[in-house]
Amino acid sequence: MSTIRPGSPTSYWLAVPAAAWMLAAVVVPTLLLLWVSFWGGRAFSTASPLTFDNYIRFFSNGAYLGLVLSTFGQAALLMAITGTLGYSIAYFLVVKLQSARWRTALFLAFVIPFWTSTLIRAIAWVPFLGVNGVINQALIFLGLTSAPIEAFLYSMAGITMAQVSLYTMLAAGPVVYMLNTIPPALREAAMTLKATPFTVWRRIIFPLTLPGVVIGQVLVFLNVMADFATVATIGGNKHALLGNLVLNFYEGSQLRFASVVAVLLMVCMLAGVALALRVVDIRKLGA
Amino acid sequence: MTQVTIAKAEAPAAAPRRAVRRLDHRTRSRITAWMLGGITLLFLLYQWLPILTLGLLSFSGPTGGTTFPMNGVSLHWYRELWDASIMNDFKPPLARSFLLALACSATTVVLAVMAAQAVRGRFRGNGLFFYLLLLGIMAPGILVGFGFALLMRLMGIELSWDTTAFVTHVTWTLPFGFLTMLAVFNRFDARLEEAALTLGASRLTTFRRVTLPIVLPGVMGAGLFGFSLSYDEYPRSLFTTGADLTLPLAVMAQLDRQLTPELYAIGTTTTAFSFIAIGIFTFAFWVLRRRVQARKP
Repeated sequence: MSTIRPGSPTSYWLAVPAAAWMLAAVVVPTLLLLWVSFWGGRAFSTASPLTFDNYIRFFSNGAYLGLVLSTFGQAALLMAITGTLGYSIAYFLVVKLQSARWRTALFLAFVIPFWTSTLIRAIAWVPFLGVNGVINQALIFLGLTSAPIEAFLYSMAGITMAQVSLYTMLAAGPVVYMLNTIPPALREAAMTLKATPFTVWRRIIFPLTLPGVVIGQVLVFLNVMADFATVATIGGNKHALLGNLVLNFYEGSQLRFASVVAVLLMVCMLAGVALALRVVDIRKLGA
Repeated sequence: MTQVTIAKAEAPAAAPRRAVRRLDHRTRSRITAWMLGGITLLFLLYQWLPILTLGLLSFSGPTGGTTFPMNGVSLHWYRELWDASIMNDFKPPLARSFLLALACSATTVVLAVMAAQAVRGRFRGNGLFFYLLLLGIMAPGILVGFGFALLMRLMGIELSWDTTAFVTHVTWTLPFGFLTMLAVFNRFDARLEEAALTLGASRLTTFRRVTLPIVLPGVMGAGLFGFSLSYDEYPRSLFTTGADLTLPLAVMAQLDRQLTPELYAIGTTTTAFSFIAIGIFTFAFWVLRRRVQARKP
């Protein structure tokens, strides 16, 4: 017995505002994108005939296809880096660090930037990456290079560096959560039975944290796939991923093309999430 | 002959080697700890150094550029920010972002508590409802913003920061508040409600007098998500804000025009502002939790 009677009409009515809000502002707009991407003709009207022309024109352009591939490549790269880094950090904070006070301090230092602006944090990388930037000054000071390296700002390397700093927390957070749910007795039992530390990790700890790893990877994947702000901030106008293409078409008033790219983006992301959901049950994390 | 000696030499070595290996586990485990600790500290440095550099460079002298050397220390760029021309005046966008974040925070709290209570009622279709809300986190801002802008265009509704941007911001903040409330109710002891109901309190009174005071710290958490996520939101705003910009949009517009230390000053200010907001919410959270704990016998 609680303040809500199970299955009562009240519980339906309480769910209505949130459900209506999400339907009207997320589901309907997404379906609209799908519809608009098939519009033919020139006018922006619901009377437009439906065709595959927009898709055919998109897929017949090799440059756009290359963009799809490089977006996937960037997502895979970030998933690999943040996955490894995030797991190492989560494992250290939860398992290896003995002092509770240090754990809290490091954890806060790790999490607090999440509550500040991603945009500002991306901009903060600009003074680091330029030809006269901090990284080049440090390299020259250390005598590692005599002339500044121009490869950081306005390059994919610089974008990747910033994205790693932005998204590692997403990969680590769910792992921290899963590691915390593992009772220490499990480890001890395995150790007593003469398993080596690596075997304990491989056969016991890692499988138990797998849902966290997968959720983290999904979050990083979704964020990198749709990231256009970091790319625009650090890449200037020299680099683009699928997200930037949506924006470019939108600003050029080519709404149907923008919709096509948006739909492709959505399909790629849904495929990624569906793949992940086959591995783990997301609801185990949420509730 | 030589083979025999080798065999003889190996036999006694086998026993100590096992001892060495057992010791190895402990040293190896310690080495792993140091390595992972090193990675963690390096990453924290990597994460914080740009933010700290941004803060430091914002105090550079009037002739200071966008990187080191600073050419003196001054509040010049903050004064520029304060006396700004109409073109790059950040005060109105700041006010808009702040009001919008407050509105999102309040809406998120109310809707998230209602939605979490609804799920506690286990109505039919609550699984679908859960995924519908989760969609707000999963769906990228660029799709939601773009799609909603198209919808408004079809319906002939003008884009504005306090109407259309507000609607899209809540789709982003609400799921976080909802997950927070679900986690809170998961740990909630429903027997307290049962006791109140058994003593004849109505369901509404029980919720108001028993449930709500206990989950209030969690409600603050949902409020913090609502505030900070909306305050920093960029992709959804970009498509749905219209002519009067919010702060992240104004910052990005300035970056497109010209990169000056003034931009670092505004970045430092909003980051400090975020920290203050986190501080206030954390303090309120701490006070409320102490009050709840103090009531326990």
